[in-house]
Amino acid sequence: MNAAIRVEAQKLVRSPVGVIGSLALVAGTLALLGGITAALASGNPELTAKVGVAATLDWDGLLASAAQITSAGALLGFGVVLSWMFGREFADGTITGLFALPVSRARIALAKLAVYAVWAAAVSVLLTVGILALGLTLNYGAPSAETWAALGRQTVLTILTAAVAAPVAWVATLTRSLLAAVGGAIALVIVAQVGALAGAGGWMPLAAPALWAMSNGTAANPMQLALTVAFSAALVGLTCASWARLQLNR
Amino acid sequence: MLTFENVSFSFRGGAGVRNLTFEVSPGEIVALVGLNGAGKTTLMRLALGMIRPQQGAARIFGQPLDAVPSATWAKVGALIEVPLAYPELTVRENLHIASLLHGGGRSQRGSGRDSGFVSNRHGSQRTIDGSVVDESVETWRLAPVADRRFRRLSLGNRQRVGLAAALQHDPQLIVLDEPSNALDPASVILLRDQLVQRAKQGAAILVSSHHLDEVARIAHRVLLMNTGRLIGELEITGTDLERAFFERIRDDDERRSETLGASR
Repeated sequence: MNAAIRVEAQKLVRSPVGVIGSLALVAGTLALLGGITAALASGNPELTAKVGVAATLDWDGLLASAAQITSAGALLGFGVVLSWMFGREFADGTITGLFALPVSRARIALAKLAVYAVWAAAVSVLLTVGILALGLTLNYGAPSAETWAALGRQTVLTILTAAVAAPVAWVATLTRSLLAAVGGAIALVIVAQVGALAGAGGWMPLAAPALWAMSNGTAANPMQLALTVAFSAALVGLTCASWARLQLNR
Repeated sequence: MLTFENVSFSFRGGAGVRNLTFEVSPGEIVALVGLNGAGKTTLMRLALGMIRPQQGAARIFGQPLDAVPSATWAKVGALIEVPLAYPELTVRENLHIASLLHGGGRSQRGSGRDSGFVSNRHGSQRTIDGSVVDESVETWRLAPVADRRFRRLSLGNRQRVGLAAALQHDPQLIVLDEPSNALDPASVILLRDQLVQRAKQGAAILVSSHHLDEVARIAHRVLLMNTGRLIGELEITGTDLERAFFERIRDDDERRSETLGASR
């Protein structure tokens, strides 16, 4: 298992996908937040109407915007990177080299997911640190206890958003296609947004973390967040089982 | 070392292989020849567990493929279609990860914990980075490109990296699909020497090829494959191997046509 983790970590660290994905998720989100803040400061009435509760030039507004961007943009970003981690083996043809090894394919799949989890956690912390730095740069003052709590929720939201992207690993495995997995990531974003708008609420695993973070923790209870974790764990199990039984018969 | 007993497999659409029975013994080089689409790669995929037989049984080291312990796979080296190498990594990095995935990260006769050593079949041990990869780079003459990313290599160099990755852990069972593809003449000789030397050291080798003269130089037996079936062995002592090959294929096609005609 250790060998598989080392291999997968090296592949992600050395790949342009890992670097660009990290930049898009952290720098991209911060750039969007900066742009929204600048537009609000200029008094743009259309944007003010669109961002709703996030239309205030303070910590609350900044963190509400961050949660909105994370719930959609980060899901797509994490989904694309995870799609690549699994789908590339089929697209590049390297999957044939992952047979007939003393490291089982289930362990290789688990190693991919473990490396992805560590990378996603690092990106989540970096993003939160970036948001904190942005707020301080914008002279929003020292964070209050409520702001620290919101920053904590932002970190958890980003981590859980990475977790709910887990189905794309399974899609890549079942379809043996990188593009199908990326399509799956886009579908996840749509389902999460439509589900939230349709009022599925906290019981929908894809939407619960965003609803929880954007409502100061009131719109989703711990049980509903646990359901999100269970959903992701189930997809991890399905993906590893699919890799264990994988056949190159088509 | 590798045994097939009446192995059959059909893809959706009907293509596949039927009633394959053969074995490859230690110290033996068995070549598999046939036209494109004859089923050579499918046979090799079956041998490595990439697809499961629908009938019959494939065994390595005496055990059915679905019961082979994980550690036993460390004694297998294979190159099927695409090298186990990633474009963003250098040649040396790719050889390092191949070593790790083939069990090079732990002692194979020690406690099983990471030790940074890999055992070869002679019982000696080599450190992963200190020796295995360096040896492999030297053996396959990859030093000039060792620090170059795989994506920037020529096709021939990519193939040599793939062969190095498949063989550097000194496997006892070697399965290579068209290993001389894209290789220059010097590399073909290098490959030939490697296979002959490994067979002398006891490895069982199954190799597919289109180059009849090439396989005739190294193979102990040449299996003929046509339309998904093994149709016998090709006598390699003759002078005109290509002619003998095509005659056997033509005879088999004619017999098959007669059989099909009679059954209609």
